[in-house]
Amino acid sequence: MSLAEFLKTALIALRRNVLRSVLTTLGIIIGVGSVIVMSAIGNGASKQIEQQIASLGTNQLTIFPGSTNVGGRQGGFGSAPPLTEKDLRAIREGVDGVVAVAGSMNNSATLVVGNANWVTQLQGSTAEIQDVRDWPVKSGRYFDATEATSRRKVLVIGATVARELFGEQDPVGTTVRVNNVPFEIVGVLTAKGQAGGRDQDDVVIAPLPTARSRLMGRVRVPDEVGQILVKVDDSHDLAEVQTDLERVLRERRRIQPNTPDNFAVRNFADILATRSATQRTLGLLLASAAAISLLVGGIGIMNIMLVSVTERTREIGLRMAIGARGGDILGQFLTEAVLLCLAGGLIGLTLGLGIAVVVSALLSWPVYISPGIVLLAILASAAVGVLFGYVPARRASQLNPIEALRYE
Amino acid sequence: MTSEGAPAQVPVIAARNLTKTYQLGEQAVHALRDVSFEIQRGEFVAIMGPSGSGKSTLMNLIGALDVPSSGQLCINGTDIATLSRDELAGLRNHTIGFVFQQFNLLARTTALDNVKLPLTYSEPRPADPDALARKCLEQVGLEGRMDHVPSRLSGGQQQRVAIARALVNSPSLILADEPTGALDTATSLEILNLFKSLNAQGMTIIMVTHELDVAAHAKRLLRVRDGKLVEDRPVHGLLEESAT
Ligand SMILES: Nc1ncnc2c1ncn2[C@@H]1O[C@H](COP(=O)(O)OP(=O)(O)O)[C@@H](O)[C@H]1O
Ligand SMILES: [Mg+2]
Repeated sequence: MSLAEFLKTALIALRRNVLRSVLTTLGIIIGVGSVIVMSAIGNGASKQIEQQIASLGTNQLTIFPGSTNVGGRQGGFGSAPPLTEKDLRAIREGVDGVVAVAGSMNNSATLVVGNANWVTQLQGSTAEIQDVRDWPVKSGRYFDATEATSRRKVLVIGATVARELFGEQDPVGTTVRVNNVPFEIVGVLTAKGQAGGRDQDDVVIAPLPTARSRLMGRVRVPDEVGQILVKVDDSHDLAEVQTDLERVLRERRRIQPNTPDNFAVRNFADILATRSATQRTLGLLLASAAAISLLVGGIGIMNIMLVSVTERTREIGLRMAIGARGGDILGQFLTEAVLLCLAGGLIGLTLGLGIAVVVSALLSWPVYISPGIVLLAILASAAVGVLFGYVPARRASQLNPIEALRYE
Repeated sequence: MTSEGAPAQVPVIAARNLTKTYQLGEQAVHALRDVSFEIQRGEFVAIMGPSGSGKSTLMNLIGALDVPSSGQLCINGTDIATLSRDELAGLRNHTIGFVFQQFNLLARTTALDNVKLPLTYSEPRPADPDALARKCLEQVGLEGRMDHVPSRLSGGQQQRVAIARALVNSPSLILADEPTGALDTATSLEILNLFKSLNAQGMTIIMVTHELDVAAHAKRLLRVRDGKLVEDRPVHGLLEESAT
């Protein structure tokens, strides 16, 4: 028999029992459908996280003063000596592969313009912050190094702050009161969006010296920088630069060998790594769920194919009498099983895609359907058909035609 | 015996010392014992015998559905014991046309598609299966019923479709196992007349029956009893003799 004839025969057989065919494939429909939905939502979420991490900068290191550890007693966070402008310089000059280094201190601040006010995060930063964060202004400009050192009261504001206080108006040139101190707005940052559940645009940036003397409350040393942000050259290995940087800081902070650091270096690559590990686990979970549902679906297919072979024993006997070879009968039932599974897979695929689209529209969740998973769903369905259709098909092909013809 | 009278023809069926024994647990059932006969091209043979005498067993061997326990059965000169399962299937496909008591048509399948079914297993594939099937349906007088499914045909019509299916591959012989067993007398007569006209056109026909009236339509009669061939005679004069 040719493939076209196999397909035609299988279609006729399946059409004879449409309801049963559909019910049989329900396991596969549900299995494939749910895998498609889960993977669409999962992939959508991880795509979004990836974008957020990219917006934070993957070639960036952040250094915090850590905790002291004296005689085995762990001090509180920030109990270690603060980081200073001198550390900043030492890193800039002593570590290879560093493109830009900025210091930054954070505090919350209340902004008032006319009778509008807005509580936001104030970031006191050195001028290099614009290079470190790859965060251009949408209008106006950043403050420069001179403005920073001469403690000018200038402010660059985030997109959310601009919107909340000024609406559609361009705020550049306007004066706002930050914790009651007047500042001139010189720039508005481009919007970066959400990251880690936080609105990155809900921020204002002032020169660090200005902020330190006017807005930061307690400062332990006059040139304290809360944290140090380092941008690493793309051609350098982030981990190597980090090691180098830790060595420089340990020297500067006179940490004895075999004593833990009293500072912490974080990079987004670490976060990325944890995230991809999580994703792998999720993927594994998804794969095993898919495997189980396909297994259950496959057993359903095998069951119904065995029933079908028994029901059609006479037909098989007749086909053999008029010249069907064992291979023809095997092919016929195998085609039927594969077609059944493929149909189930395609229905499941369509259903899954539909649900994913609806979810994305109704809940505004990001969804992403990878062509790979679609292909995999189709191939897996066909494979289930071959695997679970083989036993019934083989049984059919080995029937004795005389007995099959006599079967009632 | 042959219509053309061609010299030294290979018989369509040649059975020599044919034996078939079934093993039922401890007990051996001798379904056929030492049966020998030949059937030439163009014959119309009826096989008769009481129930359990071995008729179906013999038909299964002639139809290449089974192989003998001992002895030899040649179809067109080929010993079927030498053939593989697939070769037997091929032989059945192009050499034998089966007609069954229960018609055995595919349900919900048109007459035309039923008749075409054997061609899907043919190698090489005929160029125009539709034309072949149509021609055979016309031959059995069903030109107006090609698109009908079996449930919309009478028993006689269904058996005609089955006969057309048996004819479609231009076989060497038609094997009919009680072809009129499920039909009333009038319809049976139609089918038997169809067989007779096919035979008149040169087709070899072997038919199993347990009715003398039916056997009387053939030209030659083989009687089996307890697995043995007990009579081999021309049908001519059969009814007159049995009446006495
Ligand atoms: N597959 C089989 N297994 C065992 N015995 C069988 C089988 N087929 C037929 N027989 C026996 O062989 C004998 C002949 O059977 P069969 O050829 O069907 O007779 P008929 O068709 O003349 O009624 C019977 O005794 C029957 O029981
Ligand atoms: Mg019988």
